[in-house]
Amino acid sequence: MVRYITIFLTACLPIFFIAPYVVIPSYAEEYSFDLSEIEKKPYHLGGHMELKPYIFMSDKDARLYKLRYYNRNEGDIIDEYHAELQLEGGIEKGITRLFVRTNTDYNKSHIEESQRIAIYEGYISLKPSSSVTIDIGKKTFKWGKGYAWNPAAFIDRPKNPDDPELSLEGFIAASGDYIKSFDGQLKTVSFTPVLIPVYEQINDSFGEINRLNLAGRLYLLLYDTDIDFNILTGGSKTPRYGMDFSRNIATNFETHGEFAFIDNFKKRIVDRDGGFSESEYDAVSYLIGIRYLTEKDTTYIAEYYQNEADFTSGEMRDYFLFIDKGYNSYISSGSDAILKRASSITEGSYGRINPMKDYLYLRISQKEPFDILYFTPSITGLLNITDRSYSLIPEFLYTAVTNLELRLRAAIASGERLSEYGEKPSDYRIEFRARYYF
Amino acid sequence: MYRMIILKLAAIITGLLLSAPVYAMDNESLLKQVDRNLNPESYESYRKLINIEPDGRKKEYTLFSVKKGQDKTVALFIAPASENGRSTLRLGDNMWLYIPNVGKPIRITSLQSVVGGVFNNADILQLDYAAEYNVEKIEESGNEYLLHLKAKTKAVAYDKLRLWADSTRKLPTKIECLTETDMLIKTLYFKEVKDFGGGIVRPSVIETDSPLYKDYKSVMIYAKIKKREFKDEVFTLTFMPNMESLR
Repeated sequence: MVRYITIFLTACLPIFFIAPYVVIPSYAEEYSFDLSEIEKKPYHLGGHMELKPYIFMSDKDARLYKLRYYNRNEGDIIDEYHAELQLEGGIEKGITRLFVRTNTDYNKSHIEESQRIAIYEGYISLKPSSSVTIDIGKKTFKWGKGYAWNPAAFIDRPKNPDDPELSLEGFIAASGDYIKSFDGQLKTVSFTPVLIPVYEQINDSFGEINRLNLAGRLYLLLYDTDIDFNILTGGSKTPRYGMDFSRNIATNFETHGEFAFIDNFKKRIVDRDGGFSESEYDAVSYLIGIRYLTEKDTTYIAEYYQNEADFTSGEMRDYFLFIDKGYNSYISSGSDAILKRASSITEGSYGRINPMKDYLYLRISQKEPFDILYFTPSITGLLNITDRSYSLIPEFLYTAVTNLELRLRAAIASGERLSEYGEKPSDYRIEFRARYYF
Repeated sequence: MYRMIILKLAAIITGLLLSAPVYAMDNESLLKQVDRNLNPESYESYRKLINIEPDGRKKEYTLFSVKKGQDKTVALFIAPASENGRSTLRLGDNMWLYIPNVGKPIRITSLQSVVGGVFNNADILQLDYAAEYNVEKIEESGNEYLLHLKAKTKAVAYDKLRLWADSTRKLPTKIECLTETDMLIKTLYFKEVKDFGGGIVRPSVIETDSPLYKDYKSVMIYAKIKKREFKDEVFTLTFMPNMESLR
C-alpha cells in the first residue's frame, strides 16, 4: 500500500508543487495589443485534454465493493487512469451557426480498459434577431440555479455534486428562445419552448420511448431577482413543474433556490429478499442555497437539498441487505445470479448519484492564500442528513500557467454500515488532474 | 477699520467669484461629461487585461465588450483558450458569469474577480460613474479637477471615489477607490490618451495597483472603441451564450 501511494505521489506532486516556481519569461514594460489577436474568424476550433490518474483505498467489507469485485481480489489499493479529449468547433455564416462538442474518454483499471466517444453537443443555431434564437440538434440546457444539484432542471442529465463543473452530454431537441426587455422593475422576460423526441436510438436514456416531450421555461428578471418557471410533459417522464430563483442580497452575498413538483412519480424499490414493489405518489423536491464572499476572498457555497422522489434510509438498507444476500449466495453456491440482479437495479436507480432524500453541501474555497497567486485550496463536504454519512473533499487548484490547470484532490467517504457513504467501495481516494486548454 | 473690513469682504467675494466656474458648473453634469468623454453612451470595444506579478510574470486576457446606456454592459472573453466563450453581464447592480462548458449563468458579485489580479468584476464591467455615484464636492487645482464621489447605494463596489480629471479634456487621470472609512482599496491611473476615431479621444491604458495586493499590478489596454447601438435584449441572461454573434 505504502509503495503504491509513494509511486503515485512521486508522479503527481512534483508537477503540482514545482509549477508555481517555473519562471515564465518576463515581457518588456511597454504594453502591446496586437489587433490580429481580435480578428474574428468564421470558424472556431478549441477544446481541452486531460490526464487523471487516481488511487482508491478499498473498503472490502462495503456492500458496493462486494457487488463490484465479488469474483476477484483487487487488493487494498486500486489504481485507475483516466484520459479525456474534448474537442469543440463552430462555423458561423450570417444568422446561422453550427456548433459541435465531442468527448472522448479513455479509462484503464485492473478490471477493464474502455474508451467512449460521444457527441456531447451538436446543433445548428439560427439567430434572425437579437430577440429570437432557434436551435436544432443535441444540446445541454443547463436549467436551474443550484450549484451541486438542480431538481428543476428537467431536461438535463444530473450533475455530480463531487465535481459539479464537469460538462455534461445533452439531448437531441428543437428549442427556441424569445427575449423581451423592459424598463422598470420587470427588466427581462424570456420564453424557451423545447421539443424532445424519445425513440429507439434517439434520447432513449431520457425516459419511456416513442414519445414526443414538450418542455418550457419562462424566465423573468423581476425586482433584481432571476426567476424561472419550468415545465416538462409528454410521457417519457411523468409531468413535472418547477421554479427557481437567484438574487444578490449584497455585493458579496447571493441566495438561490429551486423547487420541483413531480406528478404521479413512480418509485420501484427492492426488499432485502429481492422482491420488487412499486408505489406512485406526487413528489416534491427543493433546494435552497447561498454563496458568500468574505473580505479575505474566502467563498462559501452552502446548499440544502431534499428530494421526496429518492429513497429513505430503510429502503437503502434493504437494498444493501439484498446485496448481502447475493454475496452470501455466491460464497455458498458460487452462483452470482442474485448479485447480477443487484447490479442491474444499481444501474437503474439505487446507483445514481445521491439516491437518498436529504443532503447538505458546503464548499469553502480560499483564493490565493499566503500571497500564492493563482492558487485556490478548497474543501467540500457533502452530508447525507438521513443516515449521517458524509464525504469530504480537500482540493488544491493551481492555474498560474496560461491554459494549464493542475488539480490535486482527495476524497474521504465515511459512515456507518448500511449508510450511503459507509457502503462506498472505497474509503479514500487521491486524484491528480492536469488539464490543458487549446 | 471699516475700510479694512470692506477690503477683506471684497477679497473674499473676489475669491469666490474667481472659483465660480467650478461651483457654477453643475457637479453632476461635470461627472456626466467625464463619463461621455471616456466612452460613448453605447459602444463596443476590445480590451486586453494584464495581471503582472511582483517577479514580472504576466497573465493576459482579451475581452470584447459592449455597453448600452448608463447601466448595461457585457464582456466576452476571447483569449486565452481556457477562458474563451466566457461572458459576464451587468445590469445595474446585477452581475452574472456564463461559462460555456459548465452550465447556466451564475450570479457573481462586484467584489469578486473573474480574472484574478487587482481588477475586480466592478472594474471590468464598469458602468458610468454618474450611474453609481453622487458628486459630493469638486475642487480645482492647477489644470485638474478633483471630484469627491459618494456611492448612491450600498450595492456599489467602492463607497467613495476621488477622481482627478484633466480640466481641459475633462478626462480622468487618476481615481482612488476608498471604503466608507477612507481606507484606500486601489488606485486607477489613466494613461496614453489616444484618438480612436469617431470623435473618441480617451486614455487607452488604465493601470491599477492596490495596497491590498502589494507589488502586483493590473493593466487594461483599449482598442477599437466605436459607437454602436444595441437592442436591450442583448443584455439578458438568455442572450449570454450568443455573445460571440455580436462581434
